[in-house]
Amino acid sequence: MALVLAITRGAAAALAPEVEGCLNCHREQTLELTLPSGESRSLFVDSQRFAGSIHGDKLSCGDCHTDIEEFPHPERTFKNVREFALAYYESCKRCHFDNYTKSLDSVHYTFLSKGDQRAPLCVDCHGAHDVASPRLPKTRISTTCARCHEQVYQRYAESVHGKALLKGANGDVPVCTDCHRSHDIEDPRTASFRLRSPEICARCHTDETVMKKYGLSTGVIQSYLTDFHGMTASFYKQEQGTPEALTAVCTDCHGVHDILAVQDPRSSVMQANVAKVCQKCHPGATESFPAAWLSHYEPSPDKAPLVYYVKLFYQIFIPFVVLGLVLQILLHLWRVVVSR
Amino acid sequence: MSRRGAKPTSAAKLARAPHATRFSVKQRIEHFVIMLLFILLALTGLPQEFFEAGWAQWLISRLGGIDRVRWLHRVAGILFTAGAAEHLGVIIFLALSKRIEPSMIPTKKDFTDAVVTLGHYLGLSEHEARFDRYDYRQKFEYWGLIFGGAIMVVTGLILYFPTLVTRVLPGELIPAAKVAHGSEGLLAFLIVIIWHIYNAHLSPEVFPFDASIFTGKIEVERMKRDHPLEYARLVASGKVAALEQEASAEPPGTDDDRQSP
Repeated sequence: MALVLAITRGAAAALAPEVEGCLNCHREQTLELTLPSGESRSLFVDSQRFAGSIHGDKLSCGDCHTDIEEFPHPERTFKNVREFALAYYESCKRCHFDNYTKSLDSVHYTFLSKGDQRAPLCVDCHGAHDVASPRLPKTRISTTCARCHEQVYQRYAESVHGKALLKGANGDVPVCTDCHRSHDIEDPRTASFRLRSPEICARCHTDETVMKKYGLSTGVIQSYLTDFHGMTASFYKQEQGTPEALTAVCTDCHGVHDILAVQDPRSSVMQANVAKVCQKCHPGATESFPAAWLSHYEPSPDKAPLVYYVKLFYQIFIPFVVLGLVLQILLHLWRVVVSR
Repeated sequence: MSRRGAKPTSAAKLARAPHATRFSVKQRIEHFVIMLLFILLALTGLPQEFFEAGWAQWLISRLGGIDRVRWLHRVAGILFTAGAAEHLGVIIFLALSKRIEPSMIPTKKDFTDAVVTLGHYLGLSEHEARFDRYDYRQKFEYWGLIFGGAIMVVTGLILYFPTLVTRVLPGELIPAAKVAHGSEGLLAFLIVIIWHIYNAHLSPEVFPFDASIFTGKIEVERMKRDHPLEYARLVASGKVAALEQEASAEPPGTDDDRQSP
């Protein structure tokens, strides 16, 4: 009994006296504010959840609510609930300046700065009084984004990555932030994001240990980069400004959020479906057109024998001709010198 | 070998030396155009073949980016194709209608010439072979250009119109054409850089510059030395008699200088 008391006291002692002071009023569940918009904003703070949050033993109320120093609180007017949240938007910056700065480069902030109040603030993803580590468990990240990006989440959930995460609790697969980053989320519709996207896929798909687990090749990026599309993408990436034309990147053939295993009959790169993918950029492509792409294989006597033997022929023929000509030149020079 | 070392000692004497016509205006224009197109094709094609190399990326960005480079390459390729078709068309027509005697056709003599000449280099025979209008090296280069050009044109068109080609032919032809186009292009470049530049510029016999394909003229002395059979034919038909007279009418000192090794 004494032990239980000690633990309860210990938990209560974690909250600073200042917090206890605020909680005198704010632990009242019915405490709320009615805004001019007609919406009501609950002012209840769950002391247990705050104590259990990552900030519970570090911060007191006034660290974030810097505008409130005395009681009664100074008069503040908020038109609606969103404005209430926006008023505290910059509170996190005092400690998390690096992530705050990064978020200024995000597509979310771009919308926010244009006055779109739907754009997420720190608290929308991380929570306010109940901030916890965002990575635990990993699925939390995807479900967090899903609160706004529901359709994308549904497609992701059905993808080879999403299924492994959600149904297999697999930690190897990417969640939203692995590709899009977390604070400096770039607009994925730009040409520069498209052209850099193979690098994103490469982060995992060139990792020998991870790919081995799933029997996947780590050569897919290299075989892409040395072919026409990959070569073009590499050049476009170096060029200044937006290129006039598009060239296929990983996601154009494999899909973006709906990537399926290549063995999946519904996969866009499955032999039966791949001509349709080619036709997106190559109108009039017939069923024999996809064979122009060696499906990430190196030419060999089994895969693409014609390509393999043409390559082999020139690997022998070029040195043969060049050495023959050089030899004749050297013999000629030698004859000229000897005859002098 | 004393004849082989003969060369004029100054530009003034070169200008005064008697000349015969070797190339027609059309041939000179053809060479000039193909030279320009070859340089343009190599300049825009090789960096695409070696796109991973730093120099290739530098060159492509200097030329205005990959799209511009490909555009230039295709335009030059179309012009090359048109030029080759015109050249071969005219030659075949003239040869079939017996208006010209084709002089680039390889003969059995070309093979024995090669053996004799190589034997001479090795010290097995006294003289190199006596050549007609074109020696075996020049024929090799000409037919290399024709066959190599044909491969480049066909594979280039396959790469230009992949969707059209795969309507009737298997898709694997496209990557095979890509390998062939790049490799054949590299081979052509190496032959020109090594073999053609040597024979037209660096060889002690012509150093620094065999200008006859640009001026259309060849010194009678050089014709006697490098194309004795053609010279003999021209003499027999009386076409160079006037030139010979002109040569003997010149001040004696000039001729002596020209004969010195």
